[in-house]
Amino acid sequence: MNAAKSFSSRLAGWLPRIVVAPSLLIVIVTVYLFILWTGVISFTSSKFVPVYDFAGLEQFIRLWATPRWHTAVANLFIFSALFLMLSTGIGLLMAILLDQNIRAEGFLRAVYLYPMALSFIVTGTAWKWIMNPGLGIQKVVNELGWTSFTFDWITDPKMAIYTVVIAGVWQSSGFAMAIFLAGLRGIDNSVIKAAQIEGASLPLIYRQIIIPMLRPAMLSVIVLLSYIAIKSFDLVLALTNGGPGSATELPSTFMFSATFRRNQMGVGAASAIMMLMTVAAIIIPYLYSELRERNNG
Amino acid sequence: MSKFLASLVAATMLVPAAARAEGTIEVLHHWVSQSEVDALNVIRKDLETKGFQWKDSAVGGMSGANAQQALRSRLTSGDPPGAMQFLGWEGPQWAEQGVVRDLNDLAKEGGWREALPPQLLTFVTSGDAFIAAPINMHRQNWVWANKKIFDEAGIAPPKTWEELIAAGKKLKEKGVTPVAMGDEPWQIGIIFDALLSDLNGPEFYKKAAIDLDPAALNSPEMTKVFDTLREVRGLVDDNFVGRDWAVATGMVINGEAAMQFMGDWAKGEFLAKGLKPNADFYCFATPAKVTSFQYVIDSFGMFTVKDETVQKAQVALAETIMDPKVQKGFNLIKGSIPARTDVSVDDFDECAKLGFNERAEAIKAGSMLGAMTHGFAAKPEFASVFGDVAAQFFVGKMSSEDAVKMLVEGIDNAR
Repeated sequence: MNAAKSFSSRLAGWLPRIVVAPSLLIVIVTVYLFILWTGVISFTSSKFVPVYDFAGLEQFIRLWATPRWHTAVANLFIFSALFLMLSTGIGLLMAILLDQNIRAEGFLRAVYLYPMALSFIVTGTAWKWIMNPGLGIQKVVNELGWTSFTFDWITDPKMAIYTVVIAGVWQSSGFAMAIFLAGLRGIDNSVIKAAQIEGASLPLIYRQIIIPMLRPAMLSVIVLLSYIAIKSFDLVLALTNGGPGSATELPSTFMFSATFRRNQMGVGAASAIMMLMTVAAIIIPYLYSELRERNNG
Repeated sequence: MSKFLASLVAATMLVPAAARAEGTIEVLHHWVSQSEVDALNVIRKDLETKGFQWKDSAVGGMSGANAQQALRSRLTSGDPPGAMQFLGWEGPQWAEQGVVRDLNDLAKEGGWREALPPQLLTFVTSGDAFIAAPINMHRQNWVWANKKIFDEAGIAPPKTWEELIAAGKKLKEKGVTPVAMGDEPWQIGIIFDALLSDLNGPEFYKKAAIDLDPAALNSPEMTKVFDTLREVRGLVDDNFVGRDWAVATGMVINGEAAMQFMGDWAKGEFLAKGLKPNADFYCFATPAKVTSFQYVIDSFGMFTVKDETVQKAQVALAETIMDPKVQKGFNLIKGSIPARTDVSVDDFDECAKLGFNERAEAIKAGSMLGAMTHGFAAKPEFASVFGDVAAQFFVGKMSSEDAVKMLVEGIDNAR
C-alpha cells in the first residue's frame, strides 16, 4: 500500500518531465545540436561537402571580404528598421481611424487584414509586376497623361531594397492594425471621458493617454513583426530574387546561395553564425531584463 | 498475408510491367517541364525494353540546387538513389568523395571516350574512372533573331560584335527593342561568356574562365569585355527586371524585340509556334573571328549501391543513355544535340545541323569551351564571382575598370 502510493506519487512527480522529454529531445537535436554543428563547420575549410579540419577564422575573414555580404547586412538593417517603423506606424494610424465608430468597419477591417492571408511569394510576385516600370504603376500613370512620371526603383540597384520594404509593409500593416484595434477596444471608455471632461483635445488624449496604454499591444506587434522581418527570405526571392545585380541580397539569401549553390559551405556557415550572433545580441539583453524583472517582482 | 499485402501494393501502384521487371532504378533529376519529361520518356522506354523500371524522383527548382540538396541528405543517410543527373562539376566532385560508381569497363567496351568530344571528359571522368554518361549537349552562345525585323531593317546576321551593336542601334532608332532579356545573373552571364571568347579568342577564355590566370583577369582585354557588355546594356529595354528567359523569347517571336542571346533550349519556343528556322527566325552563333561552341551537358552518374539488382539496372541505364539511337530520340525532343559525335544529323532541324557543324569545327579549332555560367568552366565558387560582377555591372552604373578590380578581388577572395 505504502509502496504503491509512493510509486504513484513518484510517477506524478516524473510525469511532466516524461511528457516533455520527447519534444525537448527533438528541440535539442534539431535546433541546438545543428547550431553547434554549423559553428563547427564555420571553423573548417568546407567547400562542397563538410570536412572536419581546423581553418581558424579563415571563413569569417573571407565572409567579411565579400562585398555581397556587406550589401546583405546593410539591407537587413535598412529593411528591418523601415519595415518595423512603417508597419507599426501605419497599423496604429489605421487602427485609430477605424476606431472612430465609422460605418462598415467590419468590412474595412477585413480588407486591410486580408493581405496577411497571402504568402510572401504571392505578394512578391504581384508587387514585382506592379512596380515594373513597363507593366505597373509607371505605365498606368504615363498613359493617364503624366508622361514624365517615373517609378523605376525596382530596376535601380540603389533603390531596389525599398521596393521590398513597400511590399512587406503592404502585407503586414493590416496585421499590426488588427492587434492595435484589439488593444484600443480594451481601453476603458471612462478614461477617455474623464480626459474630455478635463478639456483635453482628441490628439492630446491619443498621444498622452491611449498610445501609452497600448504598450502591451505595441510589444506584441514589434516582436511578431521582427520575426516576419527576419524570415522575409521568400519575399525577396519572389520580388527581386536578390537582384538587380545583388542589390537586394539579405543574409538569409546569401547563406543559402553560398552553402548550396556556390560550393562555399564554410562561408555559408560563417554567415549563419554571424546572423545568430546578431539575433543573440538583441535577444539576450531582452531576456536578461525580462527575467530580472520577474525575479524582482 | 504478406503475399496478399504485396499484391495489394502492386495493384494500387498500377504498374503493369512490374511483374516481369528485373529491377528498378531510382533516378534523381531536376527535369520537370513538359519537353524535358517527354525527352526522358525516350530513355525510360528503352530501359523498359531491357526489362528495368525507371523510378522517377524529380526535384525541380533553383536550377538543380534543390535536387543537390535532396541528394546530400540521401547520401548522408546512406540511401543514395541509383542514378542522378549531374551538371557541371557535380559529378567529379561527388566522385572525389568516393560515392560514384566507376563505369570504366562499360566505357571501354562501348568506346565512349572515342565517341565523345575530348573537351567533355573533364566532366564525366575523374582520374581513370568514368563517372557519368552524358546524354545531350546544349550550346549556350546562340543568338535567336526575328527574321522579319532583320529583313525590314535591311540587316543580315552580324559577323562581328561591332556589326551586332551597330545593327542594334539602328533597330533602336526604328523603335524596336534590339535585345530581349531579363536581369537574372545567368542571362547576363550568357552574354559575358560569349564576349570573353568572341572578343579575345578561345585561349583568353581558357586563361580567364578556366585557369583563373591573374594576368588575364586583370587585363585590357577584360576591360574591353566589360566595355562591350555596357554597349549591349544600351540595347536592352528598361523593363527587363525579373523577366523570365521564355518571356524574352516570346518578345522575339512576337516581333517586340529583334534578338535574344540564349542557349538552344530557346529553340523549342519558336518551334512550338510553328516557326521555321531561317524562314521565320534566325539562329546563329554569337559573332567572332573564331566561332566558339560553349557547351552545357547533362549527364547521369551512378552511385555505389549494395543492391545487386540496382547495380544491374545501373549498367542497363548507362548503356541506354550512351545508345546513339536513344541519344537521337532524346535530343530531337529536348532541342539539344547528342553528346556523342557519331550520331547522324538526319531528322534534326537546321539550327541543330548548324550546331553539329560548328561543333566539329570548334573541336578542331580549339574553340570547344565549357559554358562558365552553367558551371562548365571554373568551379562554382569562382564562376559565381564572374556572375556577380557581370550582373552588378550590367544593372548598375559601374565603370569597366571598377568591374575588373572587383572581379580580381572577388576571385582572390574565393581562392
